[in-house]
Amino acid sequence: MSLIGKLPGFLTGKVGIAAALVLGISAGGLGAALSVKTELPANATPDPAKFSVDPSNTPGFPKVKGGDFDLVDHNGNRRTSKNPEGKFQLLFFGYSNCKAICSMALPAIAEAVDLMEEMNAPITPILITVDPKRDTVEGLRKSVGDIHAKMVGLTGTEENLGVAYKAFNLEKKFLFEHVEEGAVYSHGSFIYLLDAEGNFKTLFAPVISPVRIAEISAGYIAEGAKSATN
Amino acid sequence: MSAPSILRSLFAATFVAATTLSSTAIAVTEAKVVEVKGEMIDTWCYFSGVMGDTDATRGTSHHTCALWCAAGGIPVGLRTDDGEVYMVLKFEGEDALEETDTMMEIQSDIITARGKHYLRDGVNYIVVEKVVANDGITYMSHEDYDFVPPFAKPKKKK
Repeated sequence: MSLIGKLPGFLTGKVGIAAALVLGISAGGLGAALSVKTELPANATPDPAKFSVDPSNTPGFPKVKGGDFDLVDHNGNRRTSKNPEGKFQLLFFGYSNCKAICSMALPAIAEAVDLMEEMNAPITPILITVDPKRDTVEGLRKSVGDIHAKMVGLTGTEENLGVAYKAFNLEKKFLFEHVEEGAVYSHGSFIYLLDAEGNFKTLFAPVISPVRIAEISAGYIAEGAKSATN
Repeated sequence: MSAPSILRSLFAATFVAATTLSSTAIAVTEAKVVEVKGEMIDTWCYFSGVMGDTDATRGTSHHTCALWCAAGGIPVGLRTDDGEVYMVLKFEGEDALEETDTMMEIQSDIITARGKHYLRDGVNYIVVEKVVANDGITYMSHEDYDFVPPFAKPKKKK
């Protein structure tokens, strides 16, 4: 029997998720567990030999639907899944005030973006908020620049954001109101690689290093118009 | 180089190595249905090295933290006895990627899962279609490591 099965009822199931996180946050739990800075060691650089799509990829990867979102960027302009700059895109769902996984994944994405710039394979980083009440156009305008100068923050109505969440099979949940930090959300933490048209190419777990994100992304870019090995 | 930087570089290398060792040079034409037995782990703490020895990030010693991480959206992995890690992409009965409800119930358990195995960019993924068996938590790592991290230890009521 799982230990959680021996815990009081309030620590199991859906309510338990919130309760566990409350306990975690209150003890510095999740935030502390994820508080490693995403610095690159000085000698870690992408390896050009790895700039190709892995030929051993299993065909038929259960890709997300992808694309199809229609939101508003941090400058108040309409933004769809198609990148007006014509570049591949690294997409993450999160929120500006997140002290947990976003504080790890977003700096990692920012580092990957810088690496790819040096590799002459520029890519556009995108953050779609799961907290539209605080991540308004104005709110995102203030926050995304701190993540990366090229970060595009996207917000919108709950309905339009819902379309984006559904397109990427994303689960988000309001957990609780933190005394100091405000609303705390649980949300998926995969990083998605999209082409310029918004088509899904691959995904990265947040444990993947910026170097590997850059190398793998460069491989898909190099593959160009060819579809990924699906 | 700061300690976190070292850990960061190490976990990246560890993760790539751990997820590619058994998968190189295999010409796969479609996803295979596999049945694997292993422990449901918190992939962040396991690979990042932030909690030290990987054995300390498994079993009873790390169960509470594993719940925090799963609740926060960290992908859950299935680690076999030989150290192979499958990132759980989707779980039976769940609609969303990384949906946490079921994960919260089985975190740290030893399960036997049947599902489709995909290799993607050097990483093993599994879409779990059926949990064939659940042995619960069997790795009593707290006997060696106590609580990992230490602040996961519940405070006594005054």
